[in-house]
Amino acid sequence: MLELIPLALTLLAGVGYSLAWYRLDRRGHRWPTRRAACMLAGSLCVGVALLPPVASHDDRFEVHVVQHLLLAMAAPVFLALSAPVTLALRTVPLGVRRVLLRALHSSAVGVLTAPATAVTLDLGGLYGLYLTGLYRAAERDSLIHAAVHLHMFLAGCLLSWAVIGIDPIRRRPGTGARLAALVIAAAGHDILAKLMYAWILPAGGGPAAERQAGAELMYYGGTAIEVALAVIVMTQWYLATGRALARARRRVAAPAETFAATDREHSGRT
Amino acid sequence: MTISRPARAAGHMAGRQIKRTIWSGVLAGVGLAAFIDETVFHQLLHWHHFYDKSTLAVGLVSDGLFHAGGFVAMVAGLFLLADTLRRDGFVPKRWWAALLAGAGGFQLYDGLVQHKLLGLHQIRYHVAVWPYDLTWNLTAFVMIVAGAVLMTGRAGVARSAMFRSDADTAA
Repeated sequence: MLELIPLALTLLAGVGYSLAWYRLDRRGHRWPTRRAACMLAGSLCVGVALLPPVASHDDRFEVHVVQHLLLAMAAPVFLALSAPVTLALRTVPLGVRRVLLRALHSSAVGVLTAPATAVTLDLGGLYGLYLTGLYRAAERDSLIHAAVHLHMFLAGCLLSWAVIGIDPIRRRPGTGARLAALVIAAAGHDILAKLMYAWILPAGGGPAAERQAGAELMYYGGTAIEVALAVIVMTQWYLATGRALARARRRVAAPAETFAATDREHSGRT
Repeated sequence: MTISRPARAAGHMAGRQIKRTIWSGVLAGVGLAAFIDETVFHQLLHWHHFYDKSTLAVGLVSDGLFHAGGFVAMVAGLFLLADTLRRDGFVPKRWWAALLAGAGGFQLYDGLVQHKLLGLHQIRYHVAVWPYDLTWNLTAFVMIVAGAVLMTGRAGVARSAMFRSDADTAA
């Protein structure tokens, strides 16, 4: 039952999200439907990963890999795009919002949401799980199994938030840093997959053929999600530079008044 | 002659586009080579194997980095191309030059370092591999040379709508 903690978290978040969305809508504010759709899709990924039939067959290594791809890679991508923290900031009472903002701008959260932290936790967890006896221990002990699931889910969420997250943090990394983090994380993932194929790991993963099939699936599934992440990062870049370009073109089109306005705007900004 | 601020800004924007065009081409070229390697040789022809037992451990690191980097490069290159196009700063000759150089460079690295030095995988198994190696590396070399030729040849000036319209109205 403990393995279902990520599912419980996601369902709680989903319920809170729906309530907040309804509240925002009642006030007459717009909240993009695609974000809510992402929350739904992310929840579905977690559900499929942790419930039968996938969960009941996860003693087979290939099924475990599918579980890992859904829980630690696909779901976090959707959840990051649903921008739950932004929605919370818009709907919670003022006192809660202040606390939330102070937490978001704290240095602890700054360190936690840095791409380097996310990449380290993510890759560290993966290498630890498959190259040590941890996988076998997780197969035997349900508490360790649950802890592994939770770590994979949370580390995946951290990485998604760092690379494609929309929610506000004090200093969001630039596109170059996000792409670099993505390449390192993806490369680490792909290298591990081939290592597992070569050395027939993890120990306790069943017959050799199954382990190798799982490793190949990990490689190609990981590549697919990595490409999707790259597309999302570059789309965000493209839209942001497009907005800046439109602003610059408006300025060129109507120079005199607009320059005075933007000079004021620039001097006023910290 | 005083250049008005808008014209200077527009000229600055126009001048930058050649660099961006070239970056786009190089990244797209590397990505294209990686993509063709992956789909044609690994998947369709099954010539390359997923893993070759003669690979050194360091070869796996190189493979992973170039696999991941290659796909990200392709995505980044294509988005940069879209951006260059919407700024009217696209210089076709330079883009193709950069594409050829990037793809050729990746292919040469793959052919020499990954296939031979690191023993990651061979082009094809159960055959005499040297004709394949020769063709592979020679093609890569030709692509690099072609890219260099196109890069240094004459190309049309980057057309920037802003720049042109400003010059028109200035006159």
